[in-house]
Amino acid sequence: MRKSWRLKDIVLMSVLGVVFGFIYLGFFGVGKVLVAILTPFGLGPIGYELIYGIWFIVSIIAAYIIRKPGVAFTAETIAAITEVLVGSTSGPALILSGMVQGLGAEIAFAVTKWKNYQPRILVFSGVSAAFISFPYHFFVSGFHAYESWLIMTMFVIRLLSGAIIAGYFGKILADQLAKTGVLNGYPIGKEIIARHEKSSTNF
Amino acid sequence: MIHSLNPTMKAITIIMPAILLSFSFDIITPAIMFIYILILTFFFSKLNIKKWLFYFIPMSFFALGLAWMTMLYTDGRYATGPIIFSFLSFDIRMGSIIVSISLALRSLCFIGLSLLFAFTTDPTKFMLSLMQQARLSPKLTYGILAGYRFVPTFRHELDMLKKAHRIRGFGHAKGWRNLVEQMKQYFIPLLAGAIRKAERVAIAMESKGFTGSKERTYYTVMKIKFTDYLFLSIMLIILIIAYYVSYRLGTLNIFGHRITP
Repeated sequence: MRKSWRLKDIVLMSVLGVVFGFIYLGFFGVGKVLVAILTPFGLGPIGYELIYGIWFIVSIIAAYIIRKPGVAFTAETIAAITEVLVGSTSGPALILSGMVQGLGAEIAFAVTKWKNYQPRILVFSGVSAAFISFPYHFFVSGFHAYESWLIMTMFVIRLLSGAIIAGYFGKILADQLAKTGVLNGYPIGKEIIARHEKSSTNF
Repeated sequence: MIHSLNPTMKAITIIMPAILLSFSFDIITPAIMFIYILILTFFFSKLNIKKWLFYFIPMSFFALGLAWMTMLYTDGRYATGPIIFSFLSFDIRMGSIIVSISLALRSLCFIGLSLLFAFTTDPTKFMLSLMQQARLSPKLTYGILAGYRFVPTFRHELDMLKKAHRIRGFGHAKGWRNLVEQMKQYFIPLLAGAIRKAERVAIAMESKGFTGSKERTYYTVMKIKFTDYLFLSIMLIILIIAYYVSYRLGTLNIFGHRITP
């Protein structure tokens, strides 16, 4: 398989990044609602941890579709840049946290040398993104001042959220897209066509 | 004026205190930074104060929520001093109050800096500047700008999809439970349309001779000027002053370690 990026890979990555950048911004609103519900118990910021996986999803979707090195990292960074362009209240520092998350997601694919895109690797990618992003937020958000059990709870919730929302739903979304046929020019679409031909020759 | 600064340099200047402020767990350091950010916002940028408050006030509630959580669940290293008040089964100590005010002020600083950037920066210029100053590849830059351009068309397409569904007597899935159904109905076709367009744009770009080479000329040339360095230096100087004042007052606290003169 060709490892270098074609222009159409890059534009696809950009479009996915931009679309999900907007979705990411929308989920800040969802997070705020959860925070508002949990705040009376003093557990406000846990609201964000519950849905944290959504902020890794474009890495998994783009990597699963394009299947080349660096795609997970770049798509996530583009999404973060989009959030800043549109006017996120988290500001340019968000680009940095997008890069950290993208790097985390990329690790799972790098471990398998960008050859394996089975569901468990996609879920693993969501987990590794959560795993890598947590220390960064620990530092920036001053989690150091919290009791240890609370930090552990937040960490575990984030890992689960990464696995389920980013890994599992990311895969489902990409599969749904591939079904429409628009991805036939990319590795994911080719895999589906190959599978289809194989099953039809069995008749 | 902050509007005319180079976007990449502005981004760096704004990220810098956001990271360097993360070491402090006292009140004085972030408070001084926050005052400086407010001065920048109100006196050195031409932004609409009403619009600014519209974003700032809801965001500051998050800062308060954060402070509240910190106060209740403060780690032993910070929860020192006399008990100030009790809430349910929680005893709130002086140290807890200090560290929670510190974290709240820190996030207010982040919010202030972010709004300052968002309200004074043109998105296209930011991308062009990332390409010309931060060496982002032209392929990625123009790809992102092309993707960004699709967004306004989404609303029009969503409208069309809805009408097409109605004409065919296909109901609109409502409510939280049908979220997955709604996603299939609208989100997948929208995204599929965007992907189709992305492919077309890529082919069009190549057919018109776009190679993505870095040795190209630019219609809009972005430059770094003296004022960009000035803005960066003053930001860093104020940050150093903030830490120094806190050190002199004996309140400086770096990751739970009191540092006094």
